[in-house]
Amino acid sequence: MTDQPRIGVDSWVAEVEERREAGRVRQAFERIPRSARFGAFIAAAAVVPLLSDNEYVIRVGVDTLIFGLLALGLNVVVGFAGLLDLGYVAFYGFGAYSFALLSSDKFGLHWPAEASLPVIVLAAAVTGLLLGLPSRRLLGDYLAIVTLFFGQAFVTFVTNGDRVTLLGHSGPFDLTSGPNGISGLDPLNFFGAEVQSVQGFFYVSLITLAVVMIVLHLAAESRTGRAWKALREDPLAAEVMSIPVNRLKLLAFAFGAGVAGVTGAISAAVDGAVFPDSYDIPILITVYAMVILGGAGSLSGVVLGAITINVSLEVLRDANQARWLFYSVILITLVAKLRPWPKLVAVLASLVAFGYAFHALVAAVWPAGTRGQAAGGDVIGRAVQDWVIRPEHHATLIGNYAFVALIAAVLALTLMRGVWRTVFLVPTLYLAAFVWENRLDFEPSVTRLIILGALLIVLMNARPQGLLGTARVEIG
Amino acid sequence: MYTWDYFVQELVNGLTLGSVYALIALGYSMVYGILKLLNFAHGEVYMIGAFIGYGVLTVSGGAVDPMFPIWLLISFMFIAAMIGSGLLGVVIERFAYRPLRNAPRIAPLISALGVSFFLQNTALLLFSADFRSYDTFSLDNGTLFTHGIHFGPLNISLIRIIVIVTTAALMVGLALFVSRTRLGKAMRATAYDREAAAMMGIDVDRVIVITFFIGSALAGAAGVMVGLVFQRVYHFMGFVAGLKGFTAAVVGGIGSIPGAMLGGIFIGLAEAFSQGYISTRFYDLIVFGILIVVLIVRPTGLLGKADIKKV
Amino acid sequence: MKKALVLTLIVAAVAATGASAVTKGSAPTASAAGAATTCTSGPIGFMGPITGPVAFLGKEQLNWAKFSVESFNKANGTAFTLLQGDTQLNPKLALTVGTKFTANASLLVTTGPAGSQEVIAVGPLFKRKTMPYISASATNATLTQGKYPTFSRVVGSDKAQGRSDGLFMVNKLKAKKVVIIDDQEAYSTGLAASATAVLKANKVSVTRKSVNQKVTDFSSIVTSISDDTNVVFLPWQVAANGQLFAQQMQEQGKTAKIFGSDGLDSGDFTIKGAYVSSFARDIHGLPGTARVIAAYNKKYGTKWSTFGPPSYVSVQVAATAYKAACSDGKATRGELLKNIRAVKIPHSILGITISFDKHGDVPAAKFYVSQIQADGSHKLVG
Repeated sequence: MTDQPRIGVDSWVAEVEERREAGRVRQAFERIPRSARFGAFIAAAAVVPLLSDNEYVIRVGVDTLIFGLLALGLNVVVGFAGLLDLGYVAFYGFGAYSFALLSSDKFGLHWPAEASLPVIVLAAAVTGLLLGLPSRRLLGDYLAIVTLFFGQAFVTFVTNGDRVTLLGHSGPFDLTSGPNGISGLDPLNFFGAEVQSVQGFFYVSLITLAVVMIVLHLAAESRTGRAWKALREDPLAAEVMSIPVNRLKLLAFAFGAGVAGVTGAISAAVDGAVFPDSYDIPILITVYAMVILGGAGSLSGVVLGAITINVSLEVLRDANQARWLFYSVILITLVAKLRPWPKLVAVLASLVAFGYAFHALVAAVWPAGTRGQAAGGDVIGRAVQDWVIRPEHHATLIGNYAFVALIAAVLALTLMRGVWRTVFLVPTLYLAAFVWENRLDFEPSVTRLIILGALLIVLMNARPQGLLGTARVEIG
Repeated sequence: MYTWDYFVQELVNGLTLGSVYALIALGYSMVYGILKLLNFAHGEVYMIGAFIGYGVLTVSGGAVDPMFPIWLLISFMFIAAMIGSGLLGVVIERFAYRPLRNAPRIAPLISALGVSFFLQNTALLLFSADFRSYDTFSLDNGTLFTHGIHFGPLNISLIRIIVIVTTAALMVGLALFVSRTRLGKAMRATAYDREAAAMMGIDVDRVIVITFFIGSALAGAAGVMVGLVFQRVYHFMGFVAGLKGFTAAVVGGIGSIPGAMLGGIFIGLAEAFSQGYISTRFYDLIVFGILIVVLIVRPTGLLGKADIKKV
Repeated sequence: MKKALVLTLIVAAVAATGASAVTKGSAPTASAAGAATTCTSGPIGFMGPITGPVAFLGKEQLNWAKFSVESFNKANGTAFTLLQGDTQLNPKLALTVGTKFTANASLLVTTGPAGSQEVIAVGPLFKRKTMPYISASATNATLTQGKYPTFSRVVGSDKAQGRSDGLFMVNKLKAKKVVIIDDQEAYSTGLAASATAVLKANKVSVTRKSVNQKVTDFSSIVTSISDDTNVVFLPWQVAANGQLFAQQMQEQGKTAKIFGSDGLDSGDFTIKGAYVSSFARDIHGLPGTARVIAAYNKKYGTKWSTFGPPSYVSVQVAATAYKAACSDGKATRGELLKNIRAVKIPHSILGITISFDKHGDVPAAKFYVSQIQADGSHKLVG
């Protein structure tokens, strides 16, 4: 199991060992050259808009690409350089608002995209540099605080920016239209060609993603990339080895900010409007979850993380699809984690049996306990009708208590060992299904946020390197 | 606007806010002193404390016609919130931070972020987005608000006086605890050097648990106070207050208990006076500016000690 | 072998969810192009703040909308459904819901959104996709000045509300010094501006202040209100904020009267002696509404105020227009827009005749001022 840091092994050796330990499928996969894998991915992504003519689905794809870009930018700061930047989405917002100011009716400026985008990237990068300046001397925790505050300061500023007093200007000046945001933005206009359709947005974002990935890959393989890695692993040792630590930090900030800035501009053009609270903490946590899940430090990892999480969040919007997701995830986790296979079969069988038995019992004793409504009513919903309990009245209240009980049960589960753990797993899973069916499935917008938070906690405890990151190593 | 009573009124506003921030900052400082960890979830503990107080109020029949005399009711609310929040803090430490004690610094920080987000949205799920009100105005026909010090144009309500005095009492109690008792000495030792303290026979795990309990209990008390004075309890309140408490802890010198107290009062006064004299909309930015200035001029905060790293 | 199994399961799950998402997405297109019998069973959209800071009125609007659809279906033999979208009074979420709605080819009309800033946010999108929308509570004056050709509303415009509020303060409250505090949103600043104009024209001294909707403590701003102020005008959207503000005013011994606009006309604001204006009056006691009220109360309870009935009327207008458009077997959004503007409801439950002018406003809409009594009820005073 490679989730504990291994003492006395450096990361290159760890990587090689992991590769050797990996199965044949993984080895065959690794043998394909990187560029071919990358090309295949881009080609596959390019085909997606052609699969469906539902605008909303393609729109989800666009959002995924945008999140992928954000994850890539954050990856530079957190994954490459190891700096905890909690104000990252402020650069995203900065890019979006800059586009809004440059290409809308607000000030009458209508810059074409080929002029505004490079300017925005540069401006964002410079802002990142400026943020990095007071943070140079700060240790990890202080950096987190300062960047967090910067993020909040940005949101406060744009929310209240409709009445800014500028020197030499009589009366308050409306810079950012305050909480109403700026709407009616021009579409992206490249050399006269306007991008109006969702498919167009998709391809613009995809091209940007590809370009950014290539640039970052080259940066990671260069001297700067290696210096960043050294900075991440041990800042003191890096400084002793005469690596210009401060300059590198600034560079990382600038890179991350630049990527976030261009992403913001594209996102603003796609939406056609910018609003202050789109650049606040929930987006930050989402991007962080993507980076952590995918594996900080790995380019393909964070993009994979972005796809996984954004698609899951979209699926969670609709009750029926969410149910598919919920049960699949449970099943997959069980299959992956329970070894050997007789144990797996035993747990699954007893879970099903327990459910039916419990349901029959409750139906006999308290009929109103099983007549409740399911959220949505498709195949799986009906299939588990006789397995899970759905009270008819007070489902919300019981669900709430059950949720708290579930948290307690899961925590208790982490404390148990051996046979007891396996035995206790069954009722816990049943309780989880109960909570899902009666409470979480009804409130998708909150459920997705709860899952994000839980995901961060679980990842840090169980697999801090995420899906594709390399295991952290500690020397001695 | 430039009258003396305006100044005193803003001073009282500032002290009330400052008391709340100081209590929250204490929790941050104490945990950082011992674990070098920024407990992002601390704001959420404060929020849960406020909700527990609300729960006690509702169970006792509500603000309009409670079962108990008002003083007893308020004491119940405080005690329940402090114990509840303290326990929550202990649980968070046990399951989200203890397994990561030997992991690189970034891991518990991200875990803390996750806990904060998780708790916020669990509260949203369980309590819905509606604002709950302590309805202090109806308690005992509003005596908490209408009585107090009335001196000419000056009007200081009773509840604010209660908040300021209670906070002072709690802080004095904490200071005595830390300086005079054996457990307090153990806490100071563990904060100074964890390994050496373990070698001297101090049960480091127990000390950490107690630190979390006390810090979280103080946050819970702050939650009830905010509920009583500002009457509004909702799932997102922990984030903003947590941020301000954070600032207070850092400005005062993170890791230092007197620093947290000083920092809290300072930030509270800064906020009140900025709102009153400068701008009702950009006061958050002003507070942030203060933070930046302090960090540049005196990076370890007003009362913090320079952290000398041995290589 | 284990890893292969896990991988296959993951791929299968992804494929299943993906397939269901894609087919679900394109299914409406199939049914919209279907037979004539499905025309009157189409969805009517509802955009409202079902959760969030004003969930109170969002749920009320939703319940009355549901009631309206059910009543209309029963009376006309149609089978319209209500498709909900939760916007939490947030313009970004409104845009997300709007995008989803416009991508749904079988959704031809929607009611809401509730807030003026949300209408502005979805404006360009709905204009591009010719989506008609009817709001039951967005009152900003600029919404019906030509920028949003597919927008209509069943309540009055803020230009009128600001004027009538200002005149009430001058004539009935005899105010000489007024403090107006807006909450920065479009609705609020619009109202504040029109009220200021009227007050200034009547030689009243006006001080303008501003706070953000997210502020939770108003002590400092209350302190800054001078003691000789007669009226504090709060054109706010979040009633709970207004409640807190008023209480902090009492705490600090300020005696100015509070005057709130329709945002404060909700159960969250119960300050004795304060005035609220609203775009609808309490329909209890209006002729012809008793039966409707009884039916609603039986199904949804008796806790509602003035936000629900306009929502009922907006859905009624949408459904009427939809049914008319279905007379030839199929309907389009453009057809619906024309029909909406042609709808006439002579005795609506709001007590006024519903008909639309060419901008989407209802000329008969009025504003009403009431004062909150000791028992919490509102007494009509102007």
